[in-house]
Amino acid sequence: MIRQLLRPRLRSRRIGPLAAGVVALLAATLLAAAGLALAGYDPAAAGRALVSGAFGSWERFASITLVRATPLILTGLAVALAFRAGVWNIGAEGQLYAGAVAAVWVGLTFPGAPAWLLLPGAMAAAAVAGGLWTLVPVGLKLRAGVGEVITTILMNFVAIHTVAWLVHGPLQEARGVFPQTDPVALAARLPRLGSGRLHAGFPVAVVLAGALWWLLRHSAWGFRVRAVGASIRAAAVSGRIHTGRVVLGAFLLSGMLAGLAGGVEVAGVTFALYENLSPGYGYTAIAVALLAGLNPLAVLLAAGFFGVLQAGAAAMQRDVGVPAVWVSAIEALVILAVVAADRFLRRGMAGKGGG
Amino acid sequence: MSHSRIRRSVPALAAACFLGGLVVGCGGGENDSPDDALRVALLTSGPVSDAGWYAGAYEGLLLIEESLGAQVSHQQTRSPAEFDEAFFSYGSSGYDLVFAHGFEYQDAALRAGEEFPELTIVVSSGGRISDNVRSLIFRLEEGSYLAGMMAGGLTRSRVVGMVGGVAIPPAQGTFRAFEAGARSIDPDIEVLEAFIGSWDDVAAAREAATAQLNRGADVLVHNTDAASFGVFQAVREANGDENPVWAIGMNRDQNDVAPEVIAGSAAIDIPRAFLDVASRFTAGTLPPGALDLSLGEGVVDFIVNPEALGRIPADLLARIDEARVAIREGMLEVPRIEFLEEEPGGP
Repeated sequence: MIRQLLRPRLRSRRIGPLAAGVVALLAATLLAAAGLALAGYDPAAAGRALVSGAFGSWERFASITLVRATPLILTGLAVALAFRAGVWNIGAEGQLYAGAVAAVWVGLTFPGAPAWLLLPGAMAAAAVAGGLWTLVPVGLKLRAGVGEVITTILMNFVAIHTVAWLVHGPLQEARGVFPQTDPVALAARLPRLGSGRLHAGFPVAVVLAGALWWLLRHSAWGFRVRAVGASIRAAAVSGRIHTGRVVLGAFLLSGMLAGLAGGVEVAGVTFALYENLSPGYGYTAIAVALLAGLNPLAVLLAAGFFGVLQAGAAAMQRDVGVPAVWVSAIEALVILAVVAADRFLRRGMAGKGGG
Repeated sequence: MSHSRIRRSVPALAAACFLGGLVVGCGGGENDSPDDALRVALLTSGPVSDAGWYAGAYEGLLLIEESLGAQVSHQQTRSPAEFDEAFFSYGSSGYDLVFAHGFEYQDAALRAGEEFPELTIVVSSGGRISDNVRSLIFRLEEGSYLAGMMAGGLTRSRVVGMVGGVAIPPAQGTFRAFEAGARSIDPDIEVLEAFIGSWDDVAAAREAATAQLNRGADVLVHNTDAASFGVFQAVREANGDENPVWAIGMNRDQNDVAPEVIAGSAAIDIPRAFLDVASRFTAGTLPPGALDLSLGEGVVDFIVNPEALGRIPADLLARIDEARVAIREGMLEVPRIEFLEEEPGGP
């Protein structure tokens, strides 16, 4: 997979991207270290905590870093697909919540169903709900030309407030005490892989990344998506592409991927619905997708990178006592450094006529 | 935006960062210390700078470090997805005792308790218990009842207001008690109640407080975390020499947060409670199930703001003192909402 990704670059003897990666990492490290030192924390200890928190042992890497990366892979794929089709779906967060609600509802409503039926049923429901959640933005875009940036953001708020109402109302735990649902049936939970917390959602996400990459790269549908994304007018003028249908399909599939992320998060990690279920996965997904250059395979790496950052950041809190706000600031610094290094690099390449 | 441009170099960049970290990281070992010092951790789902519920817990953690020589650690979790992860991190790196400071941790605590039988988890206001998952319940209602008496005695408009975070039993219980306390002074007092749906939303709390002030309330109590700053701010702005408006602190002694308007605080001595739990834990005398801490143990109380003493009628203070003694001796029953599950719950 990684060789696939790197081969064209090796062939053209460009080592620029890797060099930029190293530069970005160094710059981010320096920035973060300076920030920590200014705040009176030992940057070396913080760095050690970050690394050992994310990679300290296989169990820790799998149980924390990969578990964190899983919803980011799925939402990252959702955003990457939409953006490739020229659809600015900023609503992965809301679609994720819709999926989580659907998965929890299935898991609570059919507790007696066998696992082979209940788990796929819950996941399918999550994907469908995520897709349905895009219908309003899709309809408004195709029928009335309303920009999807605004509508998808608004649908995020609708989803978040609906979840708040659900956990205080119809879906509240049976005792009616705390604002959460009851845990879903054991049969509706994703199986664990190995002894840690890693669940089956991770390999599913990896397979979906591969499938989406293949679809976009090698299928006729993928070609149409890319054509529409490159220039919807040119695609329409060609007369061979029904652009509305392509936009609809890409938007729906994007919503389904984000919805599945919500289902996987509920079935693999939280087991119940909570008000603030997602720490903003749907928004981080935009950074993931852009960092990955909208390439589904690279989404795996970008999501992994964010997983590392978040796992390491939590460890910095635990082991060195860096407060949560500083940790968030450092996360942002690292992302900025990586994106900035990428920009400079690209400009350099463009100047040399590379491409 | 041209996608082909974005797509060029970034994947390799991400790869470099990711693989670089992997290589560096896998070389490093665990930094678990082998010595057998007591290891205590605290989980909060809000900032410890709230001058209230979480700040008290953090002070408690530091007190345990100081008094028992324990190795301590704190993590602020941002969403339920991080609950299990935090327990996993502490459980798998040899911690002995984890204070999970809020009901929201209870389900994840039960799962972690099963996975890490060596770990003891104490859930503040937890509603579910198991062998190694305990609940620490603060009978804050008793302090809140006295706070209600203070409000009932101070109000001139005979309207008092309550601004809460999320409508959960521990918070609702303090409001029922507050109401009862206020009505013990004046049975016809009107009591306004609002839950803003968040513990930390300062702007929403300020809005809710202002709405209650506009409806005539002149004493406001809160039960939130960092959002309490919004309540205090609204009260401070409405306060005038002609028409004094009062606020009442909750969860921790907040008298110094806004000394000019706070009449007193219904406070939990969380540091003392935490130290008590940790000491009992090391001595092996931590009782199974739930641990109730109340006015009787000196963990919960209503603390009058010393700076406001001159403006509070002496007979009101005397009545509050009488009620305190009555509660302590069991002569006065304060309303409360029970929320502990009778049967130990499953995962």
